[in-house]
Amino acid sequence: MQPHPIIQVSGLSFSYNGNAVLKNVSFTVHDHEFLALIGPNGGGKTTLLKLLLGLLKPDSGDIRIFNEPPSRSAHRIGYVPQDVAINKSFPISVIDVVLMGRLRSHQGARILKQDRKAAQKALEQVEMIDYQDRRIDDLSGGQKERVFIARALATDPDLLLLDEPIANLDNASRGDLYALLKEINKTKTILVVSHDMMVLSTYVTAVACVNKDVHYHDKAEITEGMMEMGYPCPVELIAHGIPHRILKTHED
Amino acid sequence: MIDALQYEFMRNALMAGLLASVICGIIGTFVVVNRLVFLAGGVAHAAYGGIGIAFFFGIPYILGTIGFSVLAAMAMTAVVLKAKSRADTFIGVIWAFGMALGIILMDMTPGYNVDLMSYLFGSILAVPGSDLVWMAVLTVVSLFFTAYFYRDLLAISYDDEFARLRGVPVNLLYFLFISLIAVAIVLIIRVVGLILVIALLTIPPYIAEKYSRSLIMMMVLSIILSLLFNFLGLWLAYAYDLTSGATIIMVAVAGFLISTGANYLSLNRKSFKFQ
Repeated sequence: MQPHPIIQVSGLSFSYNGNAVLKNVSFTVHDHEFLALIGPNGGGKTTLLKLLLGLLKPDSGDIRIFNEPPSRSAHRIGYVPQDVAINKSFPISVIDVVLMGRLRSHQGARILKQDRKAAQKALEQVEMIDYQDRRIDDLSGGQKERVFIARALATDPDLLLLDEPIANLDNASRGDLYALLKEINKTKTILVVSHDMMVLSTYVTAVACVNKDVHYHDKAEITEGMMEMGYPCPVELIAHGIPHRILKTHED
Repeated sequence: MIDALQYEFMRNALMAGLLASVICGIIGTFVVVNRLVFLAGGVAHAAYGGIGIAFFFGIPYILGTIGFSVLAAMAMTAVVLKAKSRADTFIGVIWAFGMALGIILMDMTPGYNVDLMSYLFGSILAVPGSDLVWMAVLTVVSLFFTAYFYRDLLAISYDDEFARLRGVPVNLLYFLFISLIAVAIVLIIRVVGLILVIALLTIPPYIAEKYSRSLIMMMVLSIILSLLFNFLGLWLAYAYDLTSGATIIMVAVAGFLISTGANYLSLNRKSFKFQ
């Protein structure tokens, strides 16, 4: 099957208070890709995600997701925000967080039986169903992350965007989480932001370096080693079967 | 207390306490979890400008106050939605403006001088039956609004960005909800006073939050606590001949201290166990 483009970005620019965050960015993501967005803090990764979601409007350029502008495709995207520790001490149970993913999936503001079923299915998928009635505050960071992934899955998305899902996790939980994402990737396209600059190449199919502009590297480039490439990204790369190395900074 | 119930003013006071508890329990829960306490305080104070307008122009009290408060609340909401980081300053300005406007208009209204104290502390022991009807209507409206939009309000309170992505009309609901807060504050101020409104909107939900697993549970607990504070306060005020509003607040603050102290002790024990 010919892969078809899911995300098409061309000539995208965005500035915040007069400072250019993204400049003339173009790239394409195809279906069933597992793309890692890496880059330094303030390099524009989160901004790029918010532009893709339609939460921010670009200054210029064009974004197409499923061949539509972001405002019309948002309902097909499952979004896992960066800070899952928002609203500490908020009284809400795990199942109620996941049920948020079912809002407006049908007419009216109410939650129906089918919504509850879908939410529970999503919780089973991330192996958190046993915690459904627990208060979200009582969970560990890794467990919370899974619940937020379940919330995104409950929207029945075709594309999953995750903003730094592993930032607050220990190494064992990180591995578990990537394994879970790999499983989800069998049916859905995934975009994951990571500022750890650590890429587990067994999981991702492509890497994009975001630092005002976007350099896109597909699977072949990662495995052959980015050292030999025309524009290596300033990252610490841990790739499967390749010794740990630190890539030199790219001169623009 | 039982013998006090033979007086109509006492029965009305208890009824007012009951209705105020239900409204404050529901609305206060959202105010506390959305960190809107300062905005609620701003609306409550700005309402005084509405009272001034109502007296100066000779329009009905309820109309003038609600109109002005809802407008003030809309302005505050617009700033909260547009520039959250600057919202507190802006709210502070409207807060001060409303009170100053009220006082100046009162000065300029010939022959009439509204007692600022009764605005601050209300007069729960002198509630007319017509006010109770208004409050009952508002209670029903709040219950229906919250019941229908519960999931949306929950999502907006917890993660408004996600709610927006799901297509929930976040801004519209925010404006609607804050109007409801404004109307509630105006009606309840008339009954129990400005200071007690803020106490009832914040203290019971704050205590309830720690023991609740859902917003509904938090609302129910807040209502129960609020009733407890109101009735205990009224009884103490009656028994010892104290100002009712202030006594209710003192009881609520005592509850707040007991809850916070108990929480502190149990937290200490927990961390000790883990050492």
